[in-house]
Amino acid sequence: MMLAGKIAFVTGGTGGIGTAICERFEAEGATVIAADLADKGGAERFHHFDVTDEAGIIATFDQLANEHERLDILVNAAGIEIEETIENTTLEQWNRIFAINVTGMFLTSKYALPLLRKSSGASVINFGSYDGYIADPGLAAYCATKGAVHALTRAMACDHGPEGIRVNAICPGYVDTPMLQSFFEGEGSGGDGGTIETLQQAVRDVHPMRTYGTPQDIANLVNWLASDEARYAAGQLWVIDGGLSAQVQQMKL
Amino acid sequence: MNGSQTLAGKRALVTGGRQGIGRAIVEAFIRQGAQAETCGRGAQPDNMPTPCIWHKLDVADPQAVNALAARSVPFDILVNNAGVQVEKTVTESSDADWDLVMGVNARGVFNMCRALLPAMKKGGSIINIGSISGKVADPSMALYNASKAFVHGLTRSIAIDHGPDIRCNAICPGWIETGMLDAGFDLADDPQRARQDALARHAARRFGRPEDVANLAVWLASDASSFATGQCYTIDGGLTAASPLNPGLF
Repeated sequence: MMLAGKIAFVTGGTGGIGTAICERFEAEGATVIAADLADKGGAERFHHFDVTDEAGIIATFDQLANEHERLDILVNAAGIEIEETIENTTLEQWNRIFAINVTGMFLTSKYALPLLRKSSGASVINFGSYDGYIADPGLAAYCATKGAVHALTRAMACDHGPEGIRVNAICPGYVDTPMLQSFFEGEGSGGDGGTIETLQQAVRDVHPMRTYGTPQDIANLVNWLASDEARYAAGQLWVIDGGLSAQVQQMKL
Repeated sequence: MNGSQTLAGKRALVTGGRQGIGRAIVEAFIRQGAQAETCGRGAQPDNMPTPCIWHKLDVADPQAVNALAARSVPFDILVNNAGVQVEKTVTESSDADWDLVMGVNARGVFNMCRALLPAMKKGGSIINIGSISGKVADPSMALYNASKAFVHGLTRSIAIDHGPDIRCNAICPGWIETGMLDAGFDLADDPQRARQDALARHAARRFGRPEDVANLAVWLASDASSFATGQCYTIDGGLTAASPLNPGLF
């Protein structure tokens, strides 16, 4: 087991990818706290957690410090998506997505640091996206938050590497989650209201691997980055997208 | 001399100036007051812009390149534009394909820089034509993609090793309306449909023109860009800013 004895805190822990990460961590021997707004019933240790609530975050890590002597793994997976161009994005929506995707990552990491310092090899894994590199249509604010995550990841890695805390980001491409379905249904995507069923073959065909990802594919990489096997991996943005972003564009029409 | 000409008094050598992007750069340099020279593997074309000196040169041949350098007055500007493409995967590519593509696109840039750089004037600018294909892959263009990544790496090395006297940057064009673009579309089952699809993937809703690349080359050649060095600048109408997966085009 790759994570035997480790203590992990996963925000967005009951979401599509977060659930797969928690399951994998548990299978690898870690004690896993699934932190999220709602308990969907599957998590072994659910902790109500709102990444926009600073007082609640402070209280959470105070409580964690009483129950655990350290934190080995922090996964910042909480995130939302807004399927709009900037023209159709309200300031309220903009502030909300940044509050969750970026500020939430900042606050959670900030207050987790004292416990992470007590680990003999802490690993923080942030959720970026290939959208932090190249844009999907009608997803402007989301793309911007992921670009911010990438920069924050490098900054945290530089600042806290000397303290023995590794910080990396995972940049998934298309992964079969409720968020992906929502993207396809969004007006801005140009998906024309199609469902994952009607679009799935077309989506697969654009990928060099001729498939899109599963939450387990992402959890596999998160697991490795969380483990001591990745002890030299720090400050990097790990794209995992079935080869999608390695291409210019597809011409095989 | 026209005071608004940004390259007045500068001497420039542009490889591969017979047609396409190289030709547009030669014409733009002349308009901006530079003394331009160019080269190609064949004889001088009939319709070259004037004044422009033509050298018959294969950039892949180090002796020929050295000989050109030995008989030339030092240049202020070197544009390594000469390039070829072969539309094949790795397993389809022959040794001859390797020699052709890497010989011109990679070794040619190296030959020219090695031979001409020592005599280049302080404040000189080397501009290499890289490609978006050196950053992200076009299908069935394995050696070409790799040769352009070589250009990007060499660009950074020259900038680091030969600053502050010489600046070196690469331009990474996207899909520019040249014969090379048509050859790419010919790979598609339905070239016309592929062309329409490709247009829709450009934020600019058009392909590039050789002049678009030449405009950037003029800036990189001029003293206005004197703090720009070691970079690979993409100019592609927004193509590679977008994901290759666009549900609106299914």
